[in-house]
Amino acid sequence: MTSLAQLFFDAVSLGGIYAMAALGIALIFGVMNLVNFAHGEYIAFCVFALIVPSTEAVAVMFLGKAPAFLLIPLLLMIGAGAAMLSEYVVFRHLRRATPVAMMISSFALGFVIQNALLATYGGRPKAISLWPELNTPVAILGAEVPLLQLIVILSTLLVVGALALLLKKTRLGLEMRAAAENFTMARLLGVRANVVITGAFALSGALAAAVALIMATQTGVADVRMGGQIMLVAFIATVIGGLGSLPGAVAAGFLIGAASILLQAFLPLEVRPFRDAFLYTLVIASLLLRPQGLFVPSSAKPRI
Amino acid sequence: MSKLGVFDLSVRYGKVPALNDVTLHLQEGERVFVSGPNGAGKSSLLGAISGAVATSHGRIEMDGDLLTGRAPEAIARLGLSMVPEGREIFGSLTVEENLRVGTGLRRDRGAVEGDIAEIYDAFPILGDRRHASAGALSGGQQQMLAIGRALMTNPKLMMVDEPSLGLAPKIVDQVYDTLVQLQEERGLTLLIVEQSSTRAARVGGRMILLRGGSVVGDGDASAFAEKDLLSEAYFGQSKLEVAQ
Amino acid sequence: MIGKHAQNRLLGYSTPVVLIGLLILLVALVSLFGDKALARTSAETLIRVVLVVGLWIFVGNSGIVSFGHAGYMAIGAYCSAWLTLKPQMKALFLPDLPPWLAQAEWPVLPAALASGLLAALVALLSGAAILRLSGIAASIATFAFLAIVNTVYSNWEGVTGATSSVVGLARYVDQWVALAWAAAAILAANLYANSASGLALRATREDEVAAAASGIDMYRHRLLSLVVSGFFTGISGALLGHSIGVLNPDSFYLGITFISLAMLVVGGIGSLSGAVIGVLVLSILIEALVRLEQGVTIGASEFALPGGAQEILIGIVMILILILRPAGLLAGRELRLPMAGPKLQAKHTTPN
Repeated sequence: MTSLAQLFFDAVSLGGIYAMAALGIALIFGVMNLVNFAHGEYIAFCVFALIVPSTEAVAVMFLGKAPAFLLIPLLLMIGAGAAMLSEYVVFRHLRRATPVAMMISSFALGFVIQNALLATYGGRPKAISLWPELNTPVAILGAEVPLLQLIVILSTLLVVGALALLLKKTRLGLEMRAAAENFTMARLLGVRANVVITGAFALSGALAAAVALIMATQTGVADVRMGGQIMLVAFIATVIGGLGSLPGAVAAGFLIGAASILLQAFLPLEVRPFRDAFLYTLVIASLLLRPQGLFVPSSAKPRI
Repeated sequence: MSKLGVFDLSVRYGKVPALNDVTLHLQEGERVFVSGPNGAGKSSLLGAISGAVATSHGRIEMDGDLLTGRAPEAIARLGLSMVPEGREIFGSLTVEENLRVGTGLRRDRGAVEGDIAEIYDAFPILGDRRHASAGALSGGQQQMLAIGRALMTNPKLMMVDEPSLGLAPKIVDQVYDTLVQLQEERGLTLLIVEQSSTRAARVGGRMILLRGGSVVGDGDASAFAEKDLLSEAYFGQSKLEVAQ
Repeated sequence: MIGKHAQNRLLGYSTPVVLIGLLILLVALVSLFGDKALARTSAETLIRVVLVVGLWIFVGNSGIVSFGHAGYMAIGAYCSAWLTLKPQMKALFLPDLPPWLAQAEWPVLPAALASGLLAALVALLSGAAILRLSGIAASIATFAFLAIVNTVYSNWEGVTGATSSVVGLARYVDQWVALAWAAAAILAANLYANSASGLALRATREDEVAAAASGIDMYRHRLLSLVVSGFFTGISGALLGHSIGVLNPDSFYLGITFISLAMLVVGGIGSLSGAVIGVLVLSILIEALVRLEQGVTIGASEFALPGGAQEILIGIVMILILILRPAGLLAGRELRLPMAGPKLQAKHTTPN
């Protein structure tokens, strides 16, 4: 019987991961109306960047061998770099394309990245061991909580806080917010489109790297399919939160995390494997009730 | 050399022509109104100059620098500023943040704070509400914010599209008074789209009449205030000749 | 002498003639000159035609990208399996089927029709929920739908065999059967596209506000197109199952979603001909890549592409088309029969 405290920590840490994944998507959508279906693959790419390319079942650490204070910034830069590269190679040429064309391109890009990973690392899930000490439980409020979960919760708060500060207080943040609301007007005031968009992708990629670090440590597995799984939830969180709304994406990420944990805990055993189906049905229901998103005022103009 | 030179400019939206071989020039420090019926191409003209709208033909130059084919942000960096129709202020940003959006392109960062103080001097209501959300301002206040915001880029040439739209006449008076004052203080060149010829005549300046995408009149604004001349331009066939 | 408008309508109906004629030619060539392997590839291609045309009926007319159609495929595929598999097989591998279903042993055609109808019904239900959303939100919701179907079918052991494959389906689908269904799908798609509903729907694709102002009920038309689309997509699933003989939920998830969208995009979302041409072009490309992956001798050396290269190349092709020729190879135009006579020169008027 899982205690309430246990459930709480499970929900908040899962929610944190979803929130960060959703933020990465909301950032880019806010600035250029692009639903980046390749985002999940940035996450997978970062996970696989930790290990040596091979098809072995047990992975040999590559970058993952570096000490934490080196690995974290390095991976964040790799994530940012991968995202910026994809912008430069693919999305920059689609600036005038319809949202549908951009969406399908990002889907294709995601597929390409996933298959590139498949070709390099093979389809078998690999065992990776990144900071296994973090999985030792810590007794807190009567629950046995893995240290990692606490770190996830703290990091999410840190990341969200840092992002909020960046957006509110820096030049880039101001320009990004202006561009997100009205790109053409921002450009008429001298805001450079390339700077804002590259910045959004860099931030998005760094967020993907953060999620990758957490997932690698938590699950201990590197699987070429992991991108798709997290991406689906992240998208749904962005839509439920209101496409383009950053606080909405974060809130929705936590909501879905909580709903997922609660369903897992309270659904009768036979039905539990279908937890995801229930979750997505709840999603469709929420979209029917409030298509513009749960955290957006009803007076908001549709962004699409 | 003219401040702004438009040569044989044509703009098309798909197959629909909006401007046909328009040629006009602005001299430094001038105040020029562009008027004409709906669909005449006034907003397209401003859109083309500012880079927001693609041109199909023609050349635009400012102080000898080529504008056509450049991105809007590059044109802004050359010293052109635009207050679009409908103001388009950033409602999710505060008043002061709106003013600061355009300051990124300035080299003289030190003067920015001074300029902001000047804007608040010219528009005290903005100063009072500098940390309020810009979306909460009234129409007239938003118009002032839009103008102040455009001025914060320290432009040489400023274009304003329909400043009187949706505003009470008394507010429009205020807006224009401030515009004229600011123009004189800074030596700005102004290009204003204004539907009301009486208003333009009252403010004073040169007027260019557009109809059906072409220039049909160019002269002193007061001359166009005479009703028959204007209705001939709006509804008639001939190109007007006006005594300067 | 018929007026220009009526002329255009008539020309519009000539598209299926051209397309079906093309497919008949393909099948004839393969059966005359090809081997068994090529016949199987041809059948696979024609099944894809059914799928992508089915997809087009919704996506092409409504302008909403659906990532969920593989879900309708799965529903159709397993439905046909439930109805046609021998009761002994079902008792062994799918023990939780309701008795009337477990006992059922239908002939293949009614089973296929039933599969289409079931998929259409699910399309009706899912569409009722999803189609009130605006474009992009609807697309994401279709992704959720795909995930739901995949989760359910991958876990419901007693009914679908979960992740173990269901085997033993009657492999009656050869290239002629597939051709027949492809022809049916093309005819239906063309009829729908030229119907009042299809035209109204395409109007909403261009400008939602104007269409609503003209009194077009966008929701109803979207729903209708999704139901018809679901029907043929479900049938394509049944056809796929009965051509390979084996079913697995993974065959109806991201891979097929990607490939079908790629075919739609390459040919051009705007036209039915685009959908068919897209299938043909990419199927040829895929076949060539498969052969290259198996190894080809050029001169004295063996040359083989690494596994996974196929998907990567197709992804790159897709992106290039979207960048360079976003309207697709046919740019939204339909293939039509040229009409005789000087004044009746066939103009490529687009259906958009």
